[in-house]
Amino acid sequence: MSTLAASETIVRELGSIVGERNVTLDALAINGVTPTHVVAPASAEECAQVLAFANNSNLVVAPAGGMTKQDIGGVPERIDILLSTTRLCGIEHYDPGDLTIGVNAGMTFGEVQRTLGEHLQWLPYDAANLDHATVGGCVATGATGPLKHAFGGLRDFCIGVQFVTADGKVAKGGGRVVKNVAGYDLMKLMNGSFGTLAVITRAAFKVFPRPRQTRSFICKFKSLDEALQFRTKMFQSPLTFLSMELISPQGPEYLSEAREPNDPDHYAPSAPVSLKPTTWQVALRATGSDNVLARYQRDLGSVVTLQLDGADEERFWKNVACFEQNVLGRHRNALVVYTHLAIQNVGPALHALERVATDYNFIPAVVGRAATGNLVIALLPLSVDPPSAMQYANCVSAYRGMLPQGSSAEVAHCPVEAKGHFDIWGTSTSDITMMRAVKNAIDPKNILNRGRFII
Amino acid sequence: MLDKPEELMMYEYDAGVDKSRPGAVVFAQNTGQVAQIMTLATKHKIPVVPRGAGTGLSGGAIAKKEAIVLSLARMNKILDIDIPNQRAVVQPGVVNLELSNATAKHGYYYAPDPSSQKACTIGGNVAENSGGPHTLALGVTVNHVTGLEVVLPDGRVVRFGGKAQETTGLDLTGFFVGSEGTMGIVTEVTVKLTKLPEHVTTLLGIYNSVQDAANTVVAITQSGVTPAALEMLDGWMLRCVEENVHAGYPTDAAAVLLIELEGMTEVVEEAAEAVAAVCMQQNAREVRRARDEKQRQLLWLGRKTAFGAVGRVSPSYYTQDGVIPRTKVPATLAEIDRISKFYGLIIGNVFHAGDGNLHPLILFDARDPVQKENSKKAAKEIMACCLKYGGSITGEHGVGLEKMNLMPSMFTEEDLTVMIQLRNAYNPDSILNPQKMIPELHYCREISGPLPTAKVEPVAGLPV
Repeated sequence: MSTLAASETIVRELGSIVGERNVTLDALAINGVTPTHVVAPASAEECAQVLAFANNSNLVVAPAGGMTKQDIGGVPERIDILLSTTRLCGIEHYDPGDLTIGVNAGMTFGEVQRTLGEHLQWLPYDAANLDHATVGGCVATGATGPLKHAFGGLRDFCIGVQFVTADGKVAKGGGRVVKNVAGYDLMKLMNGSFGTLAVITRAAFKVFPRPRQTRSFICKFKSLDEALQFRTKMFQSPLTFLSMELISPQGPEYLSEAREPNDPDHYAPSAPVSLKPTTWQVALRATGSDNVLARYQRDLGSVVTLQLDGADEERFWKNVACFEQNVLGRHRNALVVYTHLAIQNVGPALHALERVATDYNFIPAVVGRAATGNLVIALLPLSVDPPSAMQYANCVSAYRGMLPQGSSAEVAHCPVEAKGHFDIWGTSTSDITMMRAVKNAIDPKNILNRGRFII
Repeated sequence: MLDKPEELMMYEYDAGVDKSRPGAVVFAQNTGQVAQIMTLATKHKIPVVPRGAGTGLSGGAIAKKEAIVLSLARMNKILDIDIPNQRAVVQPGVVNLELSNATAKHGYYYAPDPSSQKACTIGGNVAENSGGPHTLALGVTVNHVTGLEVVLPDGRVVRFGGKAQETTGLDLTGFFVGSEGTMGIVTEVTVKLTKLPEHVTTLLGIYNSVQDAANTVVAITQSGVTPAALEMLDGWMLRCVEENVHAGYPTDAAAVLLIELEGMTEVVEEAAEAVAAVCMQQNAREVRRARDEKQRQLLWLGRKTAFGAVGRVSPSYYTQDGVIPRTKVPATLAEIDRISKFYGLIIGNVFHAGDGNLHPLILFDARDPVQKENSKKAAKEIMACCLKYGGSITGEHGVGLEKMNLMPSMFTEEDLTVMIQLRNAYNPDSILNPQKMIPELHYCREISGPLPTAKVEPVAGLPV
């Protein structure tokens, strides 16, 4: 498909479906691979025609929303068509009284939140970069933020999904009501499928009343184990928090936006430190009336070193959600690993991380959902020894090898050069043959995001 | 194993409307046996229908005579209660309430609470993605399952997920929940345990008009309060239930709302005041609050035994499970009232109002062919009404046999084709639970069979 004549045919075909204006040839590279064509359909039906054409012509398609998470995953052999959902915008249905909303995939999540906010409602969802990330992209990547603690991920409140399969079928699962068991739960299947099963064109969600006021409590501890003991005490207490986030000693350095990337690209604390920082933090967010918040304050007592509300609080949680982005804004060569653990395995995993980081010349920085066991781990290169590709590979293997059974660790970011040397996704606790069987059942030619996901 | 006609009779129905006598019933004791049975079944092309307690309401556990029923009821051990990780690992035959009873002493419980929770099994809950009154705030089964061990139709044993809340790759755990036994047989389930709330209170809003009660539902959800449960019983149901359990329901009311609030004491107290005010604004005649735990349990007993109470009044009734957007509750109830009058059939309403999940019960005399026919017509009209408002044909009872022929009115041929393609990845020869969920044939239905009797009683302190 690399010849000019072939490309001209593709442009003509795509143009006949979506209009010439909506087919372009200039795309940003994804992991060093530049998509040959970019197409932006205006409806699920147009999307279906594009996919049917691609499927018949054996063209590899990468669905794309706000391009905020495209670096995740393996290096694709080629991308013939980048299918952009940006023209699939607008709200399909929203009646505040129903507490449900249906939106097209290309709408940004920020826009959805603004619409809901006008009615004092929200989706309790605070993954990174929601001003650019689209609804379809958020569902496809299964990304989560600190609010996962109380509300779960999008999977837990996505009530309907419309998508287009590789062979051009427009299909759906669920609907627009909050409780529905008719047919298979295709919402769960699409959530976190990274565009490998279908192109998501629309999603519906259960929405929630927006908390009228919140307050956050920052608690500091001398060691990881003390911090985790406190976490366990808190999630077993009658207090119910919106978020319960663990922040490692180096974490706070990345809780502000990056002004410019570090050059050279290595760990360089903003202020010179004589002693290695050792303070672990647990950040708690609560909601309720003044009376209720007073109870939190009373029960937490002297362990709280800082309280946040208003704009400071918003900024703090936004930065926690954007931790990964803040890291990458400074260190383009950082290694970022999402780690999923049983709750009590957070401690062993982080002790393992400390050892591995030292062995492979990285500085670790971590934020994570301390009581759900979902951590964002960043490993920052040290100046003494700019890491080689193999160093990333060995570091990840060593870390995975030390994780307790039942954990999984997927690499969300590392230099492209390193990606060929190890398994980006690692081992899942779910059966991989069944994952492949599912993929094969609806995309037998493997045209969707070939070579990028675990399947 | 059972294969004598008199033994098989017990297994020819579930709590739903369909009935068929299986060829044999086999009781598996462990995963290995399930795998062996499935290997043999696939080899000899014998259909297998998995079964828990048989409390399902959509015929999911009904097997034809050429099929065998594979009962998981004897795989009923709680394997692990892991409080620090907030998880329990159970075999599929563990009774829902038994798990909550076992964890209550640690201050935890298993949140999904179908009305049949004293008898239904966790394995069955996983198959049906069961709900219950308390799913309004806490979600349904799929929100509480993190890991599964599954035997595939060809006898392979696979694992999805575990104690961690997420894993790398596709969410095959979430996808499996609610697959109604058409993808594999669950032999082990890892579930989340939920902290028992510090404080629980139950309000009873009493109304002279069904519409006012329905309007209150919308108003409460808009007020910023999310109750743990928000249930509605109409006047006919009230009288029926009151006769049965003497819960103190006002028998002259047109409808009541049963509203449960739980959480931190301060939050519950504030919410109770706010909700009571909303009820009064929406013309409630009176708002009562359960004075003590005993009274609260009694109020809930009325709700949870409502179906049984109806059974005493009418030998035959047809339970619907439609879902509508919340704002359409008033209009739908008006429509059901119209349908009831048009066919001259009593239709009682008891349902999860907060979720918009209706359970109209159509009463009829099975000996009267006209009434029987009319009950089906009325049911069809109610379902059509739910779909017209953008709702669903089932909120928690599943499609099973009963609603298979309604699937095309909710899903297009392309939707159903994708579902069949996916099912075939797991169950290519349709050996497992054939002819369920995805439509292939049309069925007519009749009502029969008693509800399963309770096996487990709740322990003190558990939300009911």
